[in-house]
This record gives sequence, C-alpha cells and structure tokens, in this order.
Amino acid sequence: MELFDPTAPGQEQVRTRAPALANLDDLTIGLLSNGKAKADVLIRATAQRLINRFGGKYLDVKFKKHASEPASTELLTNLSHECDYLITAAGD
Amino acid sequence: MNNPTTSPVHEIPDDTLAAIDYCYEQGWTDGLPVVPPERSRVEAMVAMEGRPPETILATHPATGLELSIHAAGVNAVMAGCLPEYFPIIVAAFEAMDKKPFTFHGSSASTGGSAPLLIVSGPVVDEIGMNAGVNLFGPGNRANATIGRAVRLIILNVFKMTPGIADKSTQGHPGKYSFCIAERADANPWPGLNEELDYGPDISCVVTYAGAGFCNVENHGANKPEGILTSMADSMANLGCLTFGQSVIVLSPEHARIIADAGWSKSDVQSYLYENAQRDVAALKDIGKYYAREHEFQKTEEVHRGYGPADILVTVGGGDAGGHSAFIPSWSRGRGSIMQHQAIGVCIDC
Repeated sequence: MELFDPTAPGQEQVRTRAPALANLDDLTIGLLSNGKAKADVLIRATAQRLINRFGGKYLDVKFKKHASEPASTELLTNLSHECDYLITAAGD
Repeated sequence: MNNPTTSPVHEIPDDTLAAIDYCYEQGWTDGLPVVPPERSRVEAMVAMEGRPPETILATHPATGLELSIHAAGVNAVMAGCLPEYFPIIVAAFEAMDKKPFTFHGSSASTGGSAPLLIVSGPVVDEIGMNAGVNLFGPGNRANATIGRAVRLIILNVFKMTPGIADKSTQGHPGKYSFCIAERADANPWPGLNEELDYGPDISCVVTYAGAGFCNVENHGANKPEGILTSMADSMANLGCLTFGQSVIVLSPEHARIIADAGWSKSDVQSYLYENAQRDVAALKDIGKYYAREHEFQKTEEVHRGYGPADILVTVGGGDAGGHSAFIPSWSRGRGSIMQHQAIGVCIDC
C-alpha cells in the first residue's frame, strides 16, 4: 500500500541575525508595541531601565496595526533608520 | 515547495488496520483514527479539481508554508471526505488565504479559535450536508469530515501543532470540526450566497475565526424583540463583549417569529448592534475597557462590533426548539475579518 505523506515539505527558510551591538552606551531605542493592553507600559519601563544604566534615549512607541499581523515592512524600515535597536513586547 | 511529484510516499504492507496505526505513529492525526491516505483515494479526491495538483491554495503568512491542491486532497481523504466534498475545502482555504482573515493569528492564538465554515447554496443538498436537527452535532458525514479536513490541514500542512505553534489556552470542541450548512427551506430571507452576490445558483462558503458556541435559549418570546434581546444580551455579556464580529445562527422557530412580524435581516442586524452594548463604567470596573478600540465606534456605549454589518445572520437547526446560537469572534477587534468564496467556480479561468 502506498500512502501519501500529508505533511507538505516546507520551503527552506533562510533567516539571518543582525550583528550583535558592541555595547548599549548612549544608543537610541525604538519601541514597538503589538497593540495589546499594557504592552506600551512594559516597553517604556524596560527602555527607561536601560537608559538609567547605559544612557541614551527612547523614541515614541509605535504600534502594529493588529497584534496578530506581522509588523509592516515600511514600519520596520523607518524604525531601522531612527534607532540603534528595537524593543518589542506582547501585552495582555 | 510542496510538489506532489516529490512528496514522500510511504510504502507499507497491505493491511488497513496496520495503516491506521501507522498514521498514528507518524503523528498525522487529530487524535482520532484517520482513513489512510492511499494513492487511489487521493487521486480521486484531487481529480475533483480542474487545476494542476501543485496549485497553491493558501500560504501561511508567518512561516511561508504552502498548501497545494494535492496536500489538501491527502488530508481530505484522511478526514473521511468523499471527493464531492473537496471543492468546499478548496474554497474554504482560498477564503482564509485572504489577508484580512489573518490565518496565522487565528490559528496560533491563546484565544483558541477554530475556522467556522458556513456553506450556503445548492451544494448543501447536492452533497447531503446537514442544515437541520443537531446542526453543530455529529451524524452527518459531509459536515463532520469537511470540518475535520480543515483541522488536519492546519495540523499537518501548516504545522500548527498544539502546544508548539498553536498556543490555545483552552481551545474548544470545534477545533475537531466546525462546519455547518445554511438551512434554505426555513430561511425567510435570502441565503448567504445571494446576500454575498453570488446568486441563487452558485454556492459559497463563509469562513470565520470563531470562539466557542453560545446557546441562546428563549422559548417564551413570541415577538422579535424578546428573542433578539436575549441574543443581544449574550453578545454583550462581560465575558464575550469585544469589538469583534459576530455570527448568529437563528433556529427555524426563532427566525419564523421574527420574519412573521415583518422584520428583514437588516432589521435584525440593526437591533442586535444597538442592543448588544454595555456602558463604559461597567467595562472599566472589570478592567476590560480599551479606549483605542472604542474611539473607532464613535458611540457613547461600547457595542459589539463596529456596526450592524459586523453581524452575520443565518438560519439553521431543527424545526422544534427555541435555541439559537451566537458564535463570538476570536478577534477582539479587526484582527480577523470573516471571508467568503464561491464553491467550485474558477474566477480566473
């Protein structure tokens, strides 16, 4: 008996990591909320702790359109020009 | 790529019971036994489609995993589908592939939704779907296996494995199968296929990321307001109230009382939207007030949905009983919007 495999072979996903930052001193932090309740509170508090320790500043919180959708390429591209690194969080 | 010519074929002994066990051992099931996806059965299923088997029906927006007609056919066989059911499964995934459905979120979320399929039009009788008694329950092969095929595809092709990619806090029984038919002979209003502009001769499927089923009982009301106030109260209870869409399945008895009073479906939608609401203070008291979403409504109170059009109304179930159903949306806002697709109709060819 021949059975077809019901699990479709997936495409090879090629993903690469951004190079690690050498240090966090005086850097600009981008903030991206998934849009759920309290996510913005969490990332602001996290960013403030980092600034207290390393200096620098954080940008206004940006929100994804919907929590369940990936952030748009436009949003991420714009943020990449404005900040040195990004903090994101899921609220609820 | 999911190419049927290169998809693995498993050679096993000609022993059907052993093949069922083999499917369990491979992790291909939803916990229940499956029909082994044997070559001749799969070929008969896929032959129902006019397009090449490698045609992609849907792509997972987060992982990039693709569903081909062939892979859909394999899983439909496993679910126990007959070939004539296959166009509904194809149409359902084409509907869910539309971006506003947000296939990833609705299949991965802690909210634990399942895609509810509502089939409307002549195909319901042509393939013997159940639109009547025990609508959401067991007993009909088409309803049960079409819904089950959807889940098997989500598990096997899109790899939404419970506890790994599917993080449902509790899930619900519809995650085994969640497929119903609209009851045309007891529907006092135009069917969904006509309402959605496919026309009376074309069937369609509506897909909706639905949470668990909520029974709305009212045996005493003999006016629309009584029935629909019961429904609106269920839609706006503090546990269920969100800005998401709604699916309302009126029982034939409820639908008849409402329509005999001269109410249109649009009247029903407007009444439900106006009355499915709570005041801001009540929501603030329980820590469930979201100002960002409420701003979109532009109303003093918090209503369920953004307007009457967010409420889909259909008719189904047995002749007797004052039991209708409200299916809350998985999405608490615009995260997933219900979609629809013609069945067995090629739009582009």
